[in-house]
Amino acid sequence: MRARILAALAASLCAASIGSASAEEAFVTNQLSDDLMVVDLATSRSVATIPIGGKPAGVAVSADGRFAYVTSPDAKAVTVVDAATRQVSGRIEVGGGPLGIAVTPDGKTLYVADWYAAAVRVIDTASRSVTASIAVGASPSGLAVTPDGRLLLSADRDDDSVSVVDTATRERRATIKVGTRPFGVTIDAEGKRAYTANVGSNDVSVIDIAASQEIGRVPVGMRPYAVALTQGRGFVTDQYGGTVSVFDLATLKPVKRINVGDYPEGINATADGKRVIVACWESNTLSIIDATELKVIGEVKTGDGPRAFGAFLRRTE
Amino acid sequence: MRVTIGRRTVMGAVLTAAGAVALTAAFGPAWAHGPTRQKVRESIEINAPPAKVWAAIGNFQDMSWLPPVTKTEGEKGNEIEATRRLTLTGGATVDEELYKFDAAAMTYSYRITKVDVKVLPVTNYSSTLTVTPSADGKGATLEWAGAFYRGFPNNDPPPELSDEAAVKAVKGLYQAGLEALKKKIESGS
Repeated sequence: MRARILAALAASLCAASIGSASAEEAFVTNQLSDDLMVVDLATSRSVATIPIGGKPAGVAVSADGRFAYVTSPDAKAVTVVDAATRQVSGRIEVGGGPLGIAVTPDGKTLYVADWYAAAVRVIDTASRSVTASIAVGASPSGLAVTPDGRLLLSADRDDDSVSVVDTATRERRATIKVGTRPFGVTIDAEGKRAYTANVGSNDVSVIDIAASQEIGRVPVGMRPYAVALTQGRGFVTDQYGGTVSVFDLATLKPVKRINVGDYPEGINATADGKRVIVACWESNTLSIIDATELKVIGEVKTGDGPRAFGAFLRRTE
Repeated sequence: MRVTIGRRTVMGAVLTAAGAVALTAAFGPAWAHGPTRQKVRESIEINAPPAKVWAAIGNFQDMSWLPPVTKTEGEKGNEIEATRRLTLTGGATVDEELYKFDAAAMTYSYRITKVDVKVLPVTNYSSTLTVTPSADGKGATLEWAGAFYRGFPNNDPPPELSDEAAVKAVKGLYQAGLEALKKKIESGS
């Protein structure tokens, strides 16, 4: 009996700590149901579903939380969503096959990878128009901008490399060889290291950004998609494995594999660093991982085929 | 869920339909793929114990239960990374590799490592077969779930290699396969 009361107490404390976590929302691209859903992470409830069209895949929420930018490869367009009102406020025709997307920390510039063209399109967010194009490697997929806004990294999947682009000159200043078929790329909070999920070699490449070179390789599960970083650890979605591989950022040693839904793809850590949110494409769920306990503590139903490829979390306060 | 099935032979129909575009289709590297992964999930109720259904499908080196397959040749049995080559009616082949196998849970997953889009208009295909006790406890449910990209790796696919064509082909294949297996098991052959 006493044990039961303690268990109930522990459960309520646990619920309270989830409830009091910093207010944050997930903007999840449901590619097969053609929409963007907004999930309140405090309550684990869907609070809005916004029709997008064109098979939305990539997403980038601006640092100030005002906009969510969504790529639709089939529509060859980027949709601008007002994050607070949940309304579509614009659509930018970019051509090609827009997939990966990133927004600069100041929110002024958007970068969109053209999956078919070995190019990254530059969009001015004020005028909402394409202003330039940057030549990168073949099949650019994941994009990430350093915290100081000076460098753009592009995972060029079919060249097995990462392009480092100077955002001021819009020219590639280095190419870094990584594992086979890098897809997602994630830069740490200090802007020192980047991590690519290598779909073909089932590992993660660790990049020293200043030195423009790969400094390590971490084995993960099958067909890794993207990487999230928090609490000194990397969290990697293994699509075929149905797991999130966890590794230590200091030693680069594997720590654990956590079972999540089927075909996990987009993955982000919450702003408070306590949780990791995973979009599971096949099972149509978000798995919520406790980043300390390294276990799944919640699941949220999504639309069909959630990908959430990019920075999909938004702070609301 | 009980599936219904048309009368055509799926891979045969696919062969004819996609054959016309084969010469114009761009055959990129096997890794290249379209922007949207597709999913198909089909299942069938079989009036037999789950163990019997598992016995019929649980050998990765024998896919004779799938109608267009005339021969299965492979290596490493049911080990992870076991391979097999399926020969289809008419001589086309499909190469596959096992990446998950759990006999206790009666499920396994494999991927296609080589197939011509003329044969099956998909790329980066993976699929999972799972046997579970049926809801009424009297029989078994066999589920076949697939994830794949369309046959055309670039933008603006021809209709024969579109997302819709890929889904239609895989759905037809799964329905034909499940129906054939049900007949085979329930007739006791």
